[in-house]
Amino acid sequence: MSTMQDSSAPMIEVRDLRKVFGELTVLNGIDTGIHRGEKVAVIGPSGSGKSTFLRCLNRMEEPTSGVIRFKGEDITAPGCDIDRVRRHVGMVFQHFNLFPHLTVRRNITLAPTQLKIMAQVDADQRAEELLARVGLADKVDEWPERLSGGQKQRVAIARALAMDPDVLLFDEPTSALDPEMIGEVLEVMKELADDGMTMYLVTHEMGFAREVADRVLFMDGGRITEEGTPEEVFDHPREPRTVEFLSKVLRR
Amino acid sequence: MLFAAERRGAGRGDVILAACVALLLFLLFRSGFFTATAWDDFGRRFYQNFVKDRRYMMLVDGLKATLFMTAGATLIGLAVGLILSVIRVAYKGGVPIRLLNAFAECYITVLRGTPAMVQLLIWNFTIFASARDLNTLYIAVLAFGLNSGAYVAEIFRGGIESIDSGQMEAGRSLGLSYGTSMRYIVLPQALRNVVPMLFNEFIALLKETSVAGYIGIDDLTRAGQNIQALTLEHSQPLVMVALIYLVIVLFLTGLVRRLEQWLSRGRRG
Repeated sequence: MSTMQDSSAPMIEVRDLRKVFGELTVLNGIDTGIHRGEKVAVIGPSGSGKSTFLRCLNRMEEPTSGVIRFKGEDITAPGCDIDRVRRHVGMVFQHFNLFPHLTVRRNITLAPTQLKIMAQVDADQRAEELLARVGLADKVDEWPERLSGGQKQRVAIARALAMDPDVLLFDEPTSALDPEMIGEVLEVMKELADDGMTMYLVTHEMGFAREVADRVLFMDGGRITEEGTPEEVFDHPREPRTVEFLSKVLRR
Repeated sequence: MLFAAERRGAGRGDVILAACVALLLFLLFRSGFFTATAWDDFGRRFYQNFVKDRRYMMLVDGLKATLFMTAGATLIGLAVGLILSVIRVAYKGGVPIRLLNAFAECYITVLRGTPAMVQLLIWNFTIFASARDLNTLYIAVLAFGLNSGAYVAEIFRGGIESIDSGQMEAGRSLGLSYGTSMRYIVLPQALRNVVPMLFNEFIALLKETSVAGYIGIDDLTRAGQNIQALTLEHSQPLVMVALIYLVIVLFLTGLVRRLEQWLSRGRRG
């Protein structure tokens, strides 16, 4: 009944988000949001706060102040059951963080079975489907350490998908990969995007951001200093800081 | 790597062993061990000490008490150590258990900062002073177990903290609670890392129980002393006791090495 409302209200809404580590202000007032099905790329120089911003969205980092709403619920409120929220907000890490003591299958099925969302048999079947989707159907009983970096990251994506999340947060998913493996991971992410997944993507892959993102946020000094479509931000940047950054990263 | 070198033959361990044997032979030679009368005498004393009146049973019973204390204390130490370490790590990780953490820190500081033997005496003569029906063997198990728990806690804590924080984050990001992530993701990896250190702790524990005689337990060491008192013999009983400890420790050490090899092999696939 509230579908009309849901489609118009953002899935995630961020108001005046601040994060302070001791003396250092990492996020200095962020106001933004994402709608269902939208893909938002976050770019900017290192230390600009983009990873911290992303990690606040599922409270991997505790915000110092501000409000984050997920489907209308304030997830920074004291009574919020963050574990329940996180089931719907998947995260993919720079260093994959696969569980090395578990097989690929158990990596994917651990959370759905532990949280009693699925029985082991159903979770196993779902794991096989997801692995097929990321092109690793033959690795279901493999150990993580026997996979290449690109394969690990694809398993990590499958693991996040096993919870059937509403949104996926990608925290520099290709930064730890050897160059020849970046393509296979981006390909999987492209397919996810085409399937309508809502995605936040912190990345240094400008080409991919341009290709996939509906909107690009440029962050600098803990703020979003420029925001727009990929064409606007990459081709016609307004802010001098954006111009400077893009000239550095695109020169290569 | 070290063990691989030893398997190849002339490793450092072999040199040390050869030196020990040479030293032993030299000392025996100097004490007239290799003369006929000495051997005659040795055999007669050996009979007196260990065979006559089935005195070897004193050592067997003593060994039983020693192994019982070690095994019991090991179990208590593991349980206490696991609980204490998880409390400390969880508190550091933001779980609001300030009082529990203060207790754990206090416990570890006091039990590691005082001699195990003094703790044993306090348990026996102060805390359980009025419980005279209680078998002192159980008091010793408790005392050694709680003492060992403090050391095991630090071993576990080191093991848990050696696990990359991304492991806990990945678990939490999937919606798993802190406890579930700890139990199914962090602890299994931490345990695997600390198994060799735990074993060494229990080998140390085995030797530490040799002070149990101070509260009247006839453990292996005390059994040797009891034989001494009967035969008025000053060296054979204690040397025998030492040899028994050594054999057990060597056996356990060998087991740890096997275990380490097995674990590191498992890790690769």
